[in-house]
Order: sequence, then C-alpha cells, then structure tokens
Amino acid sequence: MYTRRAFLKSSGLGLFGIGLIGGIPAFVAEAVAREKNNPLYSKRKVIVCIFQRGAMDGLMAVSPFEDPYFREARPTLFMDAAKSGSGNNLIDLDGRFGLHPGMKAFETVFREKRLAIVHGIGSPNTTRSHFDAQDYMESGTPFRKNTTSGWLNRAVGLLGHDNVTTPFSAVSLTPSLPRSLYGDQAALAINDLKNFKIQGRGEILNQNAKTFEDLYDKTKNDLLRDTGKESFEAMKMLQRNLVKNYKPANNAVYPNSSLGNSLKQIAQLVKMDVGLEVAFTESNGWDTHFNQGKDTGIFARNVGDLSKSIMAFWNDIEAYQDDVLVMTMTEFGRTVHQNGTNGTDHGRASCNFILGNHVDGGKVHGAVDMLAKENLEDGRDLRVTTDFRAVFSEVATSHLKLKDNKMLFPDWDGKGIGVMKG
Amino acid sequence: MKKQGKMIGMFLLATFSLYFTYGQKKAERFPYKQSGLSKEQAAIHLLSRFTYGYNSNDVRDVQKEGLEKWFFKQLRAEQTDEKLELLLEPYADVLMDNQSIVQKYPRGPRVRRMMINDGFIPKDSVDNRSKFYKAAYKQYMEEKGYRPEGELFRKFIATKVLRAAFSANQLQEVMTDFWFNHFNVSFTKPQSAPYIPSYENHVIRPYALGKFESLLLATAKSPAMLFYLDNASSTVERPKSKNKKGINENYARELMELHTLGVDGGYTQKDVSEAARIFTGWTVYPMNGYGNPNMLKSMTATNNKMKNQNIVDGDFIFVANRHDKGRKVVLGQQFNNDGYNEGADLISYLSSRPQTARFICKKIAIRFVNDKPDEALVNKMADTFLKSGGDIKKVLTVMVSSPEFWDKRNMYDKVKTPFELAISTVRALDGQIENPNRLVNWVTRMGEKKYYYVAPTGFPDQSSYWINTGSLLNRMNFGLASISNNASGVDIDLLELTNHREPESAEEALEVFARLLLPSTDIAVLKSRLSPLLTAQNLRQKIEKSSGGTFYEKTDKKENLMAKGKKSNNAMLAQVVGLIIGSPEFQRR
Repeated sequence: MYTRRAFLKSSGLGLFGIGLIGGIPAFVAEAVAREKNNPLYSKRKVIVCIFQRGAMDGLMAVSPFEDPYFREARPTLFMDAAKSGSGNNLIDLDGRFGLHPGMKAFETVFREKRLAIVHGIGSPNTTRSHFDAQDYMESGTPFRKNTTSGWLNRAVGLLGHDNVTTPFSAVSLTPSLPRSLYGDQAALAINDLKNFKIQGRGEILNQNAKTFEDLYDKTKNDLLRDTGKESFEAMKMLQRNLVKNYKPANNAVYPNSSLGNSLKQIAQLVKMDVGLEVAFTESNGWDTHFNQGKDTGIFARNVGDLSKSIMAFWNDIEAYQDDVLVMTMTEFGRTVHQNGTNGTDHGRASCNFILGNHVDGGKVHGAVDMLAKENLEDGRDLRVTTDFRAVFSEVATSHLKLKDNKMLFPDWDGKGIGVMKG
Repeated sequence: MKKQGKMIGMFLLATFSLYFTYGQKKAERFPYKQSGLSKEQAAIHLLSRFTYGYNSNDVRDVQKEGLEKWFFKQLRAEQTDEKLELLLEPYADVLMDNQSIVQKYPRGPRVRRMMINDGFIPKDSVDNRSKFYKAAYKQYMEEKGYRPEGELFRKFIATKVLRAAFSANQLQEVMTDFWFNHFNVSFTKPQSAPYIPSYENHVIRPYALGKFESLLLATAKSPAMLFYLDNASSTVERPKSKNKKGINENYARELMELHTLGVDGGYTQKDVSEAARIFTGWTVYPMNGYGNPNMLKSMTATNNKMKNQNIVDGDFIFVANRHDKGRKVVLGQQFNNDGYNEGADLISYLSSRPQTARFICKKIAIRFVNDKPDEALVNKMADTFLKSGGDIKKVLTVMVSSPEFWDKRNMYDKVKTPFELAISTVRALDGQIENPNRLVNWVTRMGEKKYYYVAPTGFPDQSSYWINTGSLLNRMNFGLASISNNASGVDIDLLELTNHREPESAEEALEVFARLLLPSTDIAVLKSRLSPLLTAQNLRQKIEKSSGGTFYEKTDKKENLMAKGKKSNNAMLAQVVGLIIGSPEFQRR
C-alpha cells in the first residue's frame, strides 16, 4: 500500500473551511485561482490523452491526395488539395498529405511545428473488433486480455514520486474509469468537477459535510479514515479553486460538446496546480460505415469538434504549454476503399495527433506506401507500419520524464520513431 | 409485503425443521463461541457474509431460527419466492432464451441491414443521424415489434437489483454474483452483450451452488463467453484457405489463468496453444441473423464426412470440420482426435487439479472471510474441493465450520462494494425499489459499473479497490440521497420502521436507527459526533429549508410530478438516517 500523506501535509488547506464554498465573491475566487496554489505540483508535466472511439478514418483525416490509387478507391469521398470549385479543399501539409478542411484549427500549430502527425499507426494484433482493439490499445498488451492494468495507470506508477501523489494525479473526464487507467495507482473518474463534493444546499449542507468529515476522521478503519481525510482535502482544494462561470484564457471558445466540456475541465485542473499528470477523455462517433461525407457531414463534424476542442484547450492553457502535451488515439483505421453506402468499414492503420512544445512537429511521421492493392494489408487496408506502442512509449517516456519504461508496455522492447525532440 | 414475507418465513420454518440436516449428517454448531463471539455477533457475521444486507430484526430472526439451520437453508436455496416473482413480472423478457432475445432486441446495425433488405429505406439514405433515418428506424422497430437493445440491458440490471434486494435465497444471489465476476463477460463487447441476461440466468445461477465442473463447462459452451473470449471464431488453421481466420487463443488462456489454475498454476504458453487447438470448432449456433448461416449449411452438407461428429446443445454447436484433428498435449495429458470430447475432457481435467482447487477456494475465502485469508483455511477448503469433486456447497460448509471464519477480526473487515452498499441500504430499511435503474446510477457513480467491467478478470475483490478519493464522497452523497425516493428510486417509510412512533428528539432518532442499522456496533462515536449537529438551534427549520435541494433538481419533471403525490419522510429522521448510511460504519460488512 502506498500513501498519499505528503499531499495532505503540503496543501495547507486548513485555512479554507468548507463554509466558504460558494460564499466567496467571484473576483476573489478568480484571484485565488490565478495564484500558483501549490508550488509543490506547479512544475508537473501533464499528458492529456483523447481516445477517439469507433476507429477514425485516418486516410480521410490526413489524406495522401497525390496517390492515384486513393482517388480511385474513394470515388465519392476523395477531396483534392488544389482549389476545385465547390466546397473546401484539403490543407496541403507537405505536398503529399492534406489535412481535412474540418481541422483547419490545427493548421497553425502544425506550421509552428508543435503538432506532429503519425500515419500508418496501429496495433500488431489484426483484430477488427472495436472492443478487442480498444482493449488491447488501452491495456497496452495487444496479445493479452488478462492484463489487469492500463498503460496510463502504469505510466503513473513509473513517475517515481516515491509513492507520493495527489488524488488528482490521474483523472479521467468520463462517467466510469477507462481501461487505460485500470490498475494499482489511484485514478479518479469524474464527469463533472462540480459534483466532486457533498451535495445538497443551504446551511445543512455545510453541517452534513462537517459531520461526515468528523465521522471518517474518528473511525477505526485505516482505509476509510485515510481515504476520508484525502477526500475532504481534495474536495476543499477543488471547490476552493473551481471558479463559477469559468472564463477560459485568451478568449478561447470550447465547442459545446462532450469533448469540449471535458477538455475545459482538464484545463481548469491544469491551472489549479493540483498535481495533475495524466488526464484522459474520449471522443465518440468515429464508426463511419454510412455516408461519412466529405468537407461536410459526419466525419467533418467529428474532426471539427476534435480539432476545435483541442485548440481551445491549447490556447486556454497557454501559460502551461511547456508542460502539457496532448495525444489522440484510435483503435484502428478504416478500409482504403469506400463501401456501398458511402462510408468505410473496419480497417487497420490510422493516424494520430500529438501536440506539444517539445514535439518534433510540422511533419507527418511514419510510413505510408502507395495504396496499390499489393501494398495493402489483406489486400484492403492501410498497413500498420508503426506500432502504437512505439509512439505512446516515446511520448510518455520523454514528456513525463520516466526513468524506466520497461513496464509501460511489458511485451514490447522496440524503439521510438523520433516524434519527440531530443 | 413485509408481513407476507414473514408468514412465508414461518411456514418454511415449520417445513424445514423436519430436515435440519445437511447430507445425512446432523449439522454441528458453528465454532463462533471459541472465537469469543456472542450469538448475536455470530448472527451478524453470518448475515454480513451470506446476504446482501440486514437489520436488527433479521439478526434476531436468525438467532431464533438457529445459525446453522439458517445457513443450510440458504445453501439449499430452495425457498419459494412469491414476492420476488411478482416484482420480476414486468421484466419477464430477460428470462427468455437467447433466440427470442436476439429476435426481439436486435442491435442497431442489424436493424439497419434489415431495413435496407426489406426496402424500408433506400440504400443510399442511411445517414443514421438524420431525422428521416431516425423516424424510419422508430417506425420500423414498432411495426416489427422490436425493442432497442439498451432496454434489454436496463431491464436485466433492474432484475439484478430486485433479486439481490428481495430474494429469499440470498446466498444463491451472492454466489451468482461471485461466479459471474469470476467468469466475467461484459456489455462493452457488442457481440457478447445480448447473451448476457441468459448467461446469468441460465448458465451461472443454476450452477452457483453446484459442482464447479458443471459450471465451468456451461460457461465454456455459452454464447456470452464464446463471443467474449473469441472462441466462437476459432478454427483449425487452414493455410490454403482464403479465409485467414484461424486459431484464437484467448479463451484457452483465460480458461487456465483466470477460470481454473490461476496465473501461477504451472502451465506454459505451449499448453495454452495446445488447449486452443482442442477448443477449435466450439462455437455458437447461428440465430436470427447473428452468426454465420453458411456454417449450418456446410455442417449438414451431404458431402461433409464429419457431420456425424457435430454436436448441437442448445445455443452451442461443435462443428467438426472447424476442429483441429491433430494430436495435442496439455499439461502432459494427451488428447487424440476425439472431437467435442477433447474439450469436455480438458475441462474435467482442469477442474480436478489441486492448483484449481486452491485458486478457487482462495477466491471464495477472499469473498467471504477477508481480503487476506488464512492459508490453513484455504488448504482445508481446497482439500474438500478435491475430495468432493468440486462441490461448492461442501466447500462453503467447511469454510463456515472452521474457527478461522469466526475470528473476531473478520467482523466488518470487508468493505461493501457500491452495489452491496446500495442493496444493503434497501434491505436494512425495508425499502421498496420503485425505480431500480436510478439506484443503479448511484452504484455506477460510486465506482461500480455493473456488467460493464471490460477485462475478463472481473472487478478486483479488495477493499482498497473500492475505497478511493474518487468514490468516497459519493458514498456519503448516496447516504443522504438514499432516503429520498426521488433521488435513489427507493421508497422508504421511516415511520413504519419505528412502528409509527415518531422519536421525540433527534438524539432518540439516532439511537433508534443506529440500533436498527448497525446492530451490536458501538455507536458512542457516532453519537458524540452527530450530537452537535442534532442539538443545533433550529435544526428542523434548517433541514426543511434545505430539503428539495440538489437531488431534486436532477430528476426530470415527470418524475417530480409523480413524487409530489407521495408522502415524504420526516426531514429530521431522514437526515439522521442519511448520515448513518453514509457513515464509515455502514460501509463495512
């Protein structure tokens, strides 16, 4: 059993009684929130992972528009990078790959070399089942189902804080804990930070909270007593800092979507200096079997939401950009050829996005062959040329400064692909 | 309802007093006195281990009936359950067989295919987010009498809650939960999901107190497991075939690592691969658009020389021409071209291994004794497991007849899982569950998303897994919410519990309810901590002003209107009970 006592000692929360919650004028609360509240945690590196569930069509997100085979494979879905009359065109990244116009928000950071793309990324396990592929990617063991922990939980374990961490070290903005965070390290799953408190209203609320705090403080059971103490400290810390009507910095505007709201809350956690190191959230609706659309439609909406949410987050946390990295992931890609219903079916490789100041950005990493049939996996899918573990491992190890990453992906001993600088 | 239950109880008491024996041997007294437990404490311990919750009335009843007699009655699990049957009636669909379930509750993508095939919608107008599509989908479902799959899942989880809360055969429900978690499958895997209600009702529960081998074999042949661990698609490697599918090792590996021998059970990767070959051809009988109809055709084709070796058993088929006929060796045992029997024999062999006995018995002891059970106790249970051919009843009997079980330190040593906390609240307060799914939402919020645990390991059975910063505040919130029907979906009549004698003061209320909910617990701390609150000036006004708080805002308007017609509990009593339910003492069992 590890302890989290240092968190309690250092946070100095005794000054703030629960009675103050909601009672502080907003300007005071905001001033407090601007402070570096907990110097102990202020220099922590944060990795934010976004799982795109349903398998993103990597070839539509970042299209090899010069490839005639690709144009041929997608008669009604192909877009050009050159101006072609109606509709928006792909954003030409490097003369070979074009970014979907829905992700225009990404263009600037790509040009600034802070956004990297890895194409041809995927799992060595060829399953085309969403469940299995997500499970393998999140456990980080593509051929073993019984791995009890998730790779991000193991990353927390490798941070080397001498077993001292905060309740907010690993947080998932999801209703239940994702597979990526299963494991021995404490990880918090929460939909809405506002609800992290004793609920109710009026004077009786404060009394109830006080009574519970007291009861847990006096119980003989160590686990309940210690966890009770931590919970109340965490609650106070969070509620003290959680600003009503939060205003993102730099006039950043988050899309009013589930992903946008999650990232907005992650930004708040980052700014609170509560010791956040691993954050997780997800984006849904990528299983585009039917009418996925071109510059408009389902896929365009999805990538629009993804890129705008990420960029709102990035601008919002501007002061912290040196310490924060965002990485997307998806369980597999989709068929090179469109299907009979103007969509795409389950395939193999896809692409992912990595945003951070220490990323080797401005390029499309990985290898994508010409999409001639003989180059395709099983004659139909974009071949996996980069094992997802190569990228996840390099990014997490480099950004979180992990000393020993063998346990991150226990069945894998390959090398990174140079997606991080230095 | 409660009265009716008691009358049935008395009737059963009379009947069962005739057979106060188990096996042919008269039961011996459980050795709790040797461990320094009073009869009342022993009754509490028994109830805390083998039921989903109790109050002081139940403790009294068990003492009157006799601890041993009560236990063996639970072990037989033969009590009739009219009240439960009545409550389950609206959810009758979850008891249907798999064929009927997949017929009535088709998955979205399949509905889409059917709509296109029936010419109900044109092939190229299937943006599934469009208004047109949604309206057409709804109309099609109605015309065909189909229901959304999510409704099946919700109904099923509702029956889980009702059974846990109201079944007279509590131990059977606790063991059903234990085995489901041991042989975990998950709603998160779409192929497996529709078969999960039947998996629990027809595969797990009937064998929950039977022989381990029968249970293991039943899970191996169930569609839920065959899909969840991919054995349904596992076939002999055919290098020349266009179809690239071949052997899938997932089931074979988990069979050894998680279901029988345990991770240190002394098997190798080679054993796993060989076992996977043994199970090739074990798959699911195609039903209503699911599964591969061509498989049936080829199975019965006249030129299929092996069709006599095919085996059909309910939803299960063994397809001989998908089976690897080569020689296999697993754990030194040879399995030679014997079709279906190879797998059945391997399951039988694994069930009788000493490693399996130890692994299973340790897990049972962790569930019923404490998080780190005594080695001697586990060995004793494992011996019984081996000698009795994996008889779960005998294993449990040995456990509860051992002094180690009654060690005073085990009392309240386990922490209730969120599900156990929710159900124990209902049981302790004689609540009526009016909206099971609202209660389920609380269980999820407290960190246990029932039937959605992704990994085949099932939820960890360790206190430290359940008590963490993310979930503890919600346990307290649940306490405060539990006595509000609107918030928890549970109707509780606190006055009925005090025989309609309203306590005169908050302190008296505390006394009365602490005794009911936490019998034989030292409530001095609880009293001293709650007193300042309870004697605060104008407490009642404050509470009344605050009631109708956050919890009410969360429910929708329709539900609010419904709730308005109901009498609500005295706010002061509700406050006291809410604090007890959220207190550390009530989190333990």
